[in-house]
Amino acid sequence: MQKMFDAPIPGENFTSDVRNYPWHRPPEIVEYDDGVEYLMNKLQEQEQAEIAYSMLEVGFPITTVVSAMLMQGIAKGKFPIDLAILIAGPLARYIEIIAKTNDIKYKMGTEDENRQPITPTSLKMALGIYEDDEEETDVVEVVDSPDGAEGFMSPPIIASDEEQSSMLGQVEDDEMEML
Amino acid sequence: MKFEDAIVKSIKAFLDGKMAEEFSQTTEGGELFYTPAYFDAYEKAIEEGDFDPVEEEMEDDAEDV
Repeated sequence: MQKMFDAPIPGENFTSDVRNYPWHRPPEIVEYDDGVEYLMNKLQEQEQAEIAYSMLEVGFPITTVVSAMLMQGIAKGKFPIDLAILIAGPLARYIEIIAKTNDIKYKMGTEDENRQPITPTSLKMALGIYEDDEEETDVVEVVDSPDGAEGFMSPPIIASDEEQSSMLGQVEDDEMEML
Repeated sequence: MKFEDAIVKSIKAFLDGKMAEEFSQTTEGGELFYTPAYFDAYEKAIEEGDFDPVEEEMEDDAEDV
């Protein structure tokens, strides 16, 4: 019963202060070129540059560095979200150029890592094509060792028919009959 | 779509040399400065050693005066 009344009153949102957060206020930068320039200058600051390029060295892709920087700018109310998405490309390209010139290893992060590369084998399997030649290639030739050495993995020695019959006691029975 | 996905999509498009259609009309002058072509030229200039940031700053200061 108590929960039934535990809800916002219609129009309550109009009573709250909408200037509590920076992103509730009008952004400082609204022009594309100004936004790109602001971030390029930001990357020239010692502290920001250290963070960004250390992230690349550790193995974070450029896309992650860019989105972290943009999130920071949005949170500070520097630019709106839609402008942030538009200036992501130039910022990534700028970071790429700086990383290249300073021999910093980097990943762009735009390539799909889960993508399976298409090979002739995978394509055949997907289309259900099986070749008969594969069976022939599976035949392994057994080569005798030159010294006749018997290793652990060497093929077993098969006894001759006489030896086998003697082992089974057949010879003895025949001899017994002769007697 | 998440914010990160939108960022990746935007970066991909920019690296392919694409920009939002009629986007330049939203600016005051009608022309954008930081285009994919600008960054290609910037990269080339850095590789060739033609780019001097101090010189560029001086030019900017001269324009301001």
